[in-house]
Amino acid sequence: MFGKKKQNDHIPSDDDKGLDINGTFSPIKQEFIDEIKKITHSPADLIIKEVTESIVIAFIENLVDKRILEEHLITVVEHTEPITPTELQRILPIPRLKLTEQKKEIIYDMLAGTVIIYIDGYCEVGLANIASIQNRSLSAPENESQVIGSQVGFNESLGTNVSLVRSFIRNPNLCIEEFSVGKQTNTVFSMIYVNSIASEQNIRIVRERINNLNINDLIDSAMLAELIEDNSYSIFPQMLLTERPDRFCDGLLNGKIGIIVNGSSMAILCPTSFLEFFHSREEQNLRWQLATFIRLLRFNAVFLSIYLTPLYVASLTFHYEIIPQPLLVPLSESRAIVPFPPIIEALILELIIELLREAGARLPTKVGQTIGIVGGIVIGTAAVQAGITSNILIIIIALCALASFTTPNYMMGNVIRLLRFPIIFLAGFWGYYGIMLSLCLLIIHLLRQSSLGAPYLSPLYPPRILDWGTAIIRLPIGLLKTRATSNGTFNREVMQEKDKPQRDDVMKE
Amino acid sequence: MKSKASISPPQQINAFLIVAVICSNQVGVGVMGFQQQLYLHAKQDAWISVLVSFILAHLSAIIMIKTLELYQTKDLYEINQDVFGKLIGNFLTILYISYSGSIFFLILKMYIEVINTWVFYNLSPWFLAATLLLLLVYAFLGDFRVIVGVSFFSFVLTFFWLFSLIPPLKYANIDYLLPVFQSDILSILKGTYSMTFTIVGFEIINIIYPFIKDKKNVKRYTHLSLFATLLIYFPILLVSLVYFSGEQLSKTLWATLTMLSVVRLPFVERIDIFMICFGVIIILPNLCLYAWAVYRGINSIVKIRLATFIWPFSGLMFILSFFAKTVTQLDEVNRIFMHVGFIAVFIYPILLYFLALLRRKFRKTQVIQ
Repeated sequence: MFGKKKQNDHIPSDDDKGLDINGTFSPIKQEFIDEIKKITHSPADLIIKEVTESIVIAFIENLVDKRILEEHLITVVEHTEPITPTELQRILPIPRLKLTEQKKEIIYDMLAGTVIIYIDGYCEVGLANIASIQNRSLSAPENESQVIGSQVGFNESLGTNVSLVRSFIRNPNLCIEEFSVGKQTNTVFSMIYVNSIASEQNIRIVRERINNLNINDLIDSAMLAELIEDNSYSIFPQMLLTERPDRFCDGLLNGKIGIIVNGSSMAILCPTSFLEFFHSREEQNLRWQLATFIRLLRFNAVFLSIYLTPLYVASLTFHYEIIPQPLLVPLSESRAIVPFPPIIEALILELIIELLREAGARLPTKVGQTIGIVGGIVIGTAAVQAGITSNILIIIIALCALASFTTPNYMMGNVIRLLRFPIIFLAGFWGYYGIMLSLCLLIIHLLRQSSLGAPYLSPLYPPRILDWGTAIIRLPIGLLKTRATSNGTFNREVMQEKDKPQRDDVMKE
Repeated sequence: MKSKASISPPQQINAFLIVAVICSNQVGVGVMGFQQQLYLHAKQDAWISVLVSFILAHLSAIIMIKTLELYQTKDLYEINQDVFGKLIGNFLTILYISYSGSIFFLILKMYIEVINTWVFYNLSPWFLAATLLLLLVYAFLGDFRVIVGVSFFSFVLTFFWLFSLIPPLKYANIDYLLPVFQSDILSILKGTYSMTFTIVGFEIINIIYPFIKDKKNVKRYTHLSLFATLLIYFPILLVSLVYFSGEQLSKTLWATLTMLSVVRLPFVERIDIFMICFGVIIILPNLCLYAWAVYRGINSIVKIRLATFIWPFSGLMFILSFFAKTVTQLDEVNRIFMHVGFIAVFIYPILLYFLALLRRKFRKTQVIQ
């Protein structure tokens, strides 16, 4: 491809400025201290302390638990004065203590909050992990709130999040594999799955995709999801991001694979089908009739939200004849003073709604609410009175916006809102034919997508009627016998006939 | 020779999806106005013609599946090669490809005609052809599974058409059906013959057979799908027979659409306009599946990739769509293709079956010698 380029052209990379950190440290004390300082460019918070004549400890001040450091490390080492690194393991009351010679490992561990315990004359050093990294306390998930059910959300610490998952699933089959990626950031993340349920193939695919990653930095799980999903060019997300531990665990128990990234409060669940983006965890907690109703309402809302405005535009631009006369009168009355064609009118209002939404999302909560009211009422009423838009269109647009907000997943909700714009254009240019084109395009596009190789539209297509009980409606728990096939679960059976909830104790009498 | 290995498991589909594939391939643009031709021949006994044509279709399907079962993993084109030898077999394959290609073209052209007649009088046909062909390309490049998926959604949505048959029933006059058996048998059979272009589509089983996972269920689902198609055509015909008087029906080109235009719902009238645009999703599987038939045919002669086939193919169809301009022209072509379709769907499979049997016998005796 770059045939003209000379082969020995050196492309400068980010690693060039760093120092070589392979190999081992020198067994001489002063050299060791100098080398540590040199590699880390002696930052202000690096502390190197000679505890006794032969023992040196080094750590980053802001990353370690100072109480443990003083009480259980420095005091103990001062009193017992170990002579060999192996002795350290015996005397120190710290559970996460390891010995290593690898310079790279030592440095990276220190940067993660480990204390290096160096004994003069040995290449091997002790690494005592007493990290204490500040993190936000657990709070209710803000983006996926629910009325009934657990009110705890993930925070930004990997350790806390994993412990939350473990508190939901106490099972030796819960597997946790740790990875780190990013040449600059060395971000740690865990891949979590229930070994007895998740499909071997899916686990392998995710592991391979992670191992093939070669990136510079990784800050958030959304970025990781984009990097490992099947088709990152599609507008539809193929991996679910959730901040609810209960939803996350629900996924794991249905054979999905989860990824929690350190520093991100959103966990990844995959494979995810299109319909699952419109599910909310709360439906599992509600009565099944109510849950089914809400779910069907939401599916209809999505369709409405995408197609209502385009239908209005198409009908009023090209197909007046399909509007019944009683409806045509109020429509034309309210449109009589509007100087724009329907497509411009609709686009103006849609843009206003999008602006309001964006302003509301960026401003602090209290101001955001005010903006919503001011924008909605003032601009809406004024626009109609000024004759820029028609009353009926305001109703339609507001309905569409409302419907799009019923999508529980923030990412998918945004996609739904964005999809409307090209469809409005198609409707404004080619009427119902344009709308049908967009519908076909949408169906074909969704059919072509996959999530970890599983069909994205499953269980609608390929039709798996057994799965409809969990995907489209919500069956009562007693009737659910199998897990969804789309997750490729290893063990599909959830409940056998004999395990059904028994109620013959009181009922019989 | 290709073997089973050439179709990988992810490409294969479950047998029950045949219902969607065949049904959506049979229901096409023909459903919008097949009544006129039928009525001209069989008068009020047209419904008997429809029943007869479906019985014939069932018989033909039995023969087709018997032929396919002789070979198990081969499609029509490979059977051609096997029965007639490379040269004649390939010649027949080319004939079949041109049959599929022509049907593809007719469907495309007819749908454009419908849109131009009913919805947009002056939307240029080349634009309609281009958009439909681009949709086709996008679906086609997604491979066979996506094509079946499109058929599936089309199949499900097609059944919504049937609900719009209820309002015209208000104006139904059952006397239009009487007396039964006024037409002689020859007229009824002529009516059946005129149904050919409407009923073709199930011959796609010849091409998709190697892609089916559980082949032992093919028979059941193929017949089920023919029955499902009957469930669509038969009510439409019955309602149009009782809705229109004979005089009207013989003059109405798009009877189904004319009938739909009286439907009046509280928030929509002129449902026909809506339905015609809805037709995009009804004809899309036809286009995809016939294009697939052409692709498999060409593939059996020269190996070719999906993308290298579909772009030139759509380009060719696009250029061809500039010719054949008026409905009358189309009608003549239609009449020719009625004969061609009848041969391809009803006569050729029977011929092929007996020749394949003979070939097999012949080969066995050869082996024994």
